[in-house]
Amino acid sequence: MPLRFAALAASIALLGAMSLPLRAQEPQGVRLLVTLSPDSVAGGARLPIVRSENLLSDGRWLSALRSGLPVRLHYRVEVWRSRGAWFDLFLRQAEWDVLVRHEPLLDQYTLLTFTAGGTQERRYATLDALSAALAFSYQVNVRPPNPGIYYYGAVLEISTLSDSDLDELERFLEGDLGDVATGGGSIGDALGRGATRFLLRLAGLPSLRLEGRTQRFRVR
Amino acid sequence: MSHTKRLLVAGLLLLPSSALLAQDSVIVIDPDATPSDTLLRGGPPAQVVAELIAFYNDSGTTRIQGDVSIPAGSSFEGGLAVHRGALRISGRVSGPVAVANGTLYLLPGAIVDGEILVVGGRLIRSAEVRHDGGERVFWDAAPVLRRPDGTLALRERRRPLGDLATARTTFQTGRVRTTLLLATGGTYNRIEGLPIVFGPLFELRPTPNSTARLDLRGLLRTAGEGSRLTSDFGYGVGAEFRSGSVGVTGRLYSEVASIEDQPLALSESGWSAFLLQRDYRDYFERRGGGGSIWVAPVRPLRLEVSMRRDDERSVRATDPWSLLRNSDSWRRNPLVDDGHYFTTGVALDYDTRNQRDLPTTGWFLRARFEHSTSDDVAPVALPASVRPELPLGGGYAFDRLSLDLRRYSRLTPSLRINARIRADGWVGGDRFPVQRRVSLGGPDLLPGYDFRAFTCAPRGFLDPSRLALCDRSITAQVEVRTRLGLDLGYRTRDREGSPTGRFIGIEEADLVFLADAGDAWLAGSGPGQVPVSRIPNFGEWKVDVGIGLDAGEIGAYLAKGISEGEPIKLLVRLQRRF
Repeated sequence: MPLRFAALAASIALLGAMSLPLRAQEPQGVRLLVTLSPDSVAGGARLPIVRSENLLSDGRWLSALRSGLPVRLHYRVEVWRSRGAWFDLFLRQAEWDVLVRHEPLLDQYTLLTFTAGGTQERRYATLDALSAALAFSYQVNVRPPNPGIYYYGAVLEISTLSDSDLDELERFLEGDLGDVATGGGSIGDALGRGATRFLLRLAGLPSLRLEGRTQRFRVR
Repeated sequence: MSHTKRLLVAGLLLLPSSALLAQDSVIVIDPDATPSDTLLRGGPPAQVVAELIAFYNDSGTTRIQGDVSIPAGSSFEGGLAVHRGALRISGRVSGPVAVANGTLYLLPGAIVDGEILVVGGRLIRSAEVRHDGGERVFWDAAPVLRRPDGTLALRERRRPLGDLATARTTFQTGRVRTTLLLATGGTYNRIEGLPIVFGPLFELRPTPNSTARLDLRGLLRTAGEGSRLTSDFGYGVGAEFRSGSVGVTGRLYSEVASIEDQPLALSESGWSAFLLQRDYRDYFERRGGGGSIWVAPVRPLRLEVSMRRDDERSVRATDPWSLLRNSDSWRRNPLVDDGHYFTTGVALDYDTRNQRDLPTTGWFLRARFEHSTSDDVAPVALPASVRPELPLGGGYAFDRLSLDLRRYSRLTPSLRINARIRADGWVGGDRFPVQRRVSLGGPDLLPGYDFRAFTCAPRGFLDPSRLALCDRSITAQVEVRTRLGLDLGYRTRDREGSPTGRFIGIEEADLVFLADAGDAWLAGSGPGQVPVSRIPNFGEWKVDVGIGLDAGEIGAYLAKGISEGEPIKLLVRLQRRF
């Protein structure tokens, strides 16, 4: 659709006006805590410890769970090397997923932790126990090997999943490269997974992104 | 595991089960752990569950279902067991206490003389509590169920969660898992309308490391031509056996395939056709079969050798319904060079992206080389400047190479830069049939230009289908993304009236700055053609720039071609550009 150049300028200005600082935390009390392990290693390398807090105090997630929608917690920890005035250097990252689902017949909550080392399944019968399990700390073995000044960044993306999303996620986490190999779309593409997810999100199904980072530390 | 491997791969360093208590609150993630697809089920030790059941069912135990309180000043003597409820003790209990799948609260002033066992819940202890005796707490749910006589029994484990994660109907018969499927397939297009796919999928796992699949699918086209049965129905039969990092596949099919896989992804093209009666792809019918052998020596890498024989035929556009512009005519679907084609191919995929849909870091490489032959091609008439006459009666052969290389990088925690180079085209032999030819222009590769702005059609050649006629194309794309908080919407109020309920709208999006450059051309020594051994000078490439907002599942962009004085284009995408 042809538009005038003025429209482009106006749009850029509008985008600038709308660009608010990204909120680090949500007002409902859900928090992502990223801390450093104690400085107990020769050389000063420290590990990131990631923990989410008060997830179930936000009624959106409990409501989603009880509506039969699985909740996915996608954690990502990044290792950054600080380089003063120049762009910091991204070194590596580690990711893992936690999937929570309510099983109404048993009135239990199943919690799956997906990593390359395997999948761990745990079940909890009470919200107290589930809430405590969701507040587990994760210590990530991504210690920087070389001297320098480093810090860790962490991102937690919480979202609800439809069944097809869940299926796709599990296949991907299992390393299935099928779609890559064929280059074709999978069943259900007519509806468009992205579009479906967008409509679900627009309809008010919750999704949340939290970010945090540690203090800088020096490796000698 | 080397650092070049996908760092998505994070390993859970599981402590030895004997040392792993249910409420261990620190989990160690080891990104360099050896990849494994094992499933470890946590839970309380079997002997503890047996002990719990025995105690609960003991005739000397007082059994309670649901919440119960021992108030301050009161006392209880003997064994006390609670199932599926909260036990709140403020008074005195003289005897062992067990809670199954519930929470035990020791409130101020509580006195317990006896063992405490909580399985499937927590023990929440206040100050000023006195407890004489042992204490064992397991947060993991106790696998028990309550029988009609009020006693507990061990509950057999139901099928795993992974099996529940499907919208299809799946059942297990012996070692064979069967999935019955009824779904939309492919996309909405002007040939088939909305294809409906139905049929079973059988899966067998002979060993934990191997899988055999047989996928039988029928396909019903809701907008077939109607003159012949095959226009309304198609099929796809796929078989695959994979063992570890090696697999063998075979396929038989009768399907409608698209000629180019751009300028929109399949799902977006479907939405565009369904909503706006704008189908951005062209199609031909393909019937045949083939097979492949693949090996994935390490997780991100996959090599494949394949061969197939296709009967490729032209299909006509029908007139399926669309939401808007339904009275307009659909763009004509081009005729293709009908014939039987035998194709052998080699493919390489290397994928270290951290996510498939919304990657933020990693490499993606897809390279394909194909050699095709045909003995009965029936070519459509094309201008001689586009293609010399093809050999008829046998000996027609051509080679095709396609390459898609992408890099996703993070400059800072909030700033990302992504780049892509994509090339596709003829590399040897006779010139391409119509159904292998390429073009450029449109939302995906050059969004600042019109759909198929560059088709290599010679001056004076008019074709209502806007046929893609180029031999080769190349595109380079780069984009810079930064995250913005938008709050475009509103938050509903919760029960207390505070605006902390669901947020309806878009909270955050990426601000995207993009630039693309590319060209599509005919290879040869004629006027306007580029020598076979060269690509066009960069100065001849078409360039566009743009800006947009990408909310992940939907994005809006403004783009402008700067090589030809194009007007600004507004585009809406339903997925990432690349």
